[in-house]
Order: sequence, then C-alpha cells, then structure tokens
Amino acid sequence: MFVLTRREQAQLLNVLQLYPRIPPAHYRLSKSGRLPEPEESQKLLDEALAEVRASNRKTLQAFLSEPTRFTASAKTLQFTLSETEAEWLLQVLNDVRVGSWVSAGSPENFLAALNEKTTADIWAMEIAGYFEAHLLDALSNS
Amino acid sequence: MAETVEPQVVPGSVEVEESKSKSGLEPGYLVICWNDPVNFMQYVTHVFQRVFGWNREKAEFHMLQVHEQGKSALTRESFEKAEHYVHQLQHYSLHATMERED
Repeated sequence: MFVLTRREQAQLLNVLQLYPRIPPAHYRLSKSGRLPEPEESQKLLDEALAEVRASNRKTLQAFLSEPTRFTASAKTLQFTLSETEAEWLLQVLNDVRVGSWVSAGSPENFLAALNEKTTADIWAMEIAGYFEAHLLDALSNS
Repeated sequence: MAETVEPQVVPGSVEVEESKSKSGLEPGYLVICWNDPVNFMQYVTHVFQRVFGWNREKAEFHMLQVHEQGKSALTRESFEKAEHYVHQLQHYSLHATMERED
C-alpha cells in the first residue's frame, strides 16, 4: 500500500494514460542479424510485444477502475496493490519512461535536451521514474 | 543507465552460464544487454533477478558491466532459449539482443 497526495494520484493517472509509449517495432531481436530466418524471428518478437502491450492496456483500464484501488483518508489517498500488480505496474511505467525518452530523441543528457518540443516527454519520463523508484523500493523490501 | 544506487559487488565471482546443447555442433547465442541512459540501475538489477532468477550479487555484477562497459553477455543459450530471454527482457523495456557466438 502506498500513500499518495491527490496531486501525485493525478500525475500517476496522467502518465499511465500514455501507455503504451514505446513505438511498435522499436526493438530489434539481434544487432548483427545473424540468425536463422531473421525476418521471421523479428516478426515474432514484434507480434509478441504488441500482444503483451494490448493485454496490458486492457488490464490497466480494469486495474484503475477498481473502486478499492484508491481509498481516501483525510488529505491523502491509499493506493493498494499486490506484489504481482506492483511488478506488472513497474513494466508499464518503464514502457512510458523509455517510450517518452525515445520520443524526446533518446538524449544522453535529459536536462540539456529540455526545450519546448521535449518538455512533455521529459516530464512523463521523470514522473514515471518517480513512481518506479517507489515501486522498486517496495519490491526490494517485500 | 540512470544512476540511483551504489551496489557492493565482488568482481570475478560470477561467470556467464550456458545451457547444455543437445549437440556440440549447435551454435550458441549470447543474450546481450546494452547500456542506455534511461533505465535505472536498480531497475536493471531487479529485471535480471526476475528474468534469470539470479541473486542480487550476480544481477548487480551484470548491471555494472552494462553500465561501465556498454554491454554485458548475460548468458549463452540455444536459439530458442536465447530468444525467450530476449523477449522477456524487452517486455521490461531493456535494450537486449541475441547474437550468434562465433
């Protein structure tokens, strides 16, 4: 269980709405391409990733719509999820983080790349990273 | 990788494992993870533990190899197993590929 402010909840929901963020066919199975039937293998990877992302998108909608997911107490909200859900949410958030980085032009230095065109991408990347760090801490202590 | 932790690692205590192939003539495939500036070091370590079932020390050793040397050969496998691992690592949005070993 995590305790969030209402502003944190709004930011979390905003970044999750961006999922999936990594462009289709972004990843290559091999750099050298020295594989038996490389095109077929690449197609298999692209299809597998697309299937996982479509499934995650559906799961995400159901996950967020559960009435007990966020429960209010005074000025804060309790965000409840199981260890399995935390592991899954970590993957979803990292897709948003990496995909936003790709959209910003894959910069080495995030701050140096900050400009009018990249602000939204770098914001999403940093917000996703903020929640990822909390999930990683929770998972490492579980 | 983005720097978030400073893990304690004992270099030289970890070796790349390989699965036994049915035939010595079958080519082996290296599963390689490449460095990028976006994935947190703690996240990469976590993913290696989840995907390969490694302990923290071994996962951190390979994470640091990726960070400091630009890549790490995580394991040597048959085509099918290497392909499976690359799929798993890419589900976590890590930059991983499989390369035929000469």
